[in-house]
Amino acid sequence: MFGGVFGGGSQKPVQSAPMGGMPGMGQGQGQMDPNAQLAAAEQEMEMVTDMFARLGELCNKKCILQRYSDEDLTKAESVCIDRCVAKYFQVNREVSDKLAKLSQVNQ
Amino acid sequence: MSNPFTRMPSQDERAAATKVTDSCAFKAGFSGIAGYGIGLMFGLVLSGIEFSSPVDTTASTKQQIKTVIKDMGNKSLSSAKNFAIMAAIYSGSECMIESYRAKNDIYNSIGAGCITGGTLAAKTGPRGMAAGCAGFAAFSAGIDWYMHKDD
Repeated sequence: MFGGVFGGGSQKPVQSAPMGGMPGMGQGQGQMDPNAQLAAAEQEMEMVTDMFARLGELCNKKCILQRYSDEDLTKAESVCIDRCVAKYFQVNREVSDKLAKLSQVNQ
Repeated sequence: MSNPFTRMPSQDERAAATKVTDSCAFKAGFSGIAGYGIGLMFGLVLSGIEFSSPVDTTASTKQQIKTVIKDMGNKSLSSAKNFAIMAAIYSGSECMIESYRAKNDIYNSIGAGCITGGTLAAKTGPRGMAAGCAGFAAFSAGIDWYMHKDD
């Protein structure tokens, strides 16, 4: 709860970066031809870039103070960034789980 | 010959060192040590100002000097201990409040000041604790406002 008593405030390892925006994709991947594989890789790269940009902007807006008295992040900002990233990924994971469930129900 | 004292620290080493020095426990301990040092000097000055117990005037001059110096030392050490405890409690509680709230404003100082003042006045009952909390909180809020006035 206190997050920083014994050495917090730095990056936690990302537990499982979810690529879960596409519920119908993981079904026949071993048999795709190289063109499709390339397209899939490009799309995944785009998704990662987009996620990174969104995450950066969101956590920057929410966590970084507008008062720049020092170039280092304060403890509050480091803790806030940790929590922001963890929450973003958790939200991503839960939304993709719900989407997957919905698409399964619809099938 | 490359050992930790002569080579440049690697990125991992620097990250680990930053993680340690940014932790609340380290900050509290470091403030305690710094408070001890400041308290030593403050106690020395204070013992010069305030009137100590009467010295035995029948003893020789050297004996009198020794007694006075020993008294100054005792006062200095006790003042140092009080300062160290106060600084450690203040710094540790401010760090914990800031980690919990994830915000960096003046309320961290006010909360930490209240906790410190209340803890130091614990022997005088609830009213004394409330007064200590209010007083120390106001003091630390004033200092914090002054330090960040021009940011």
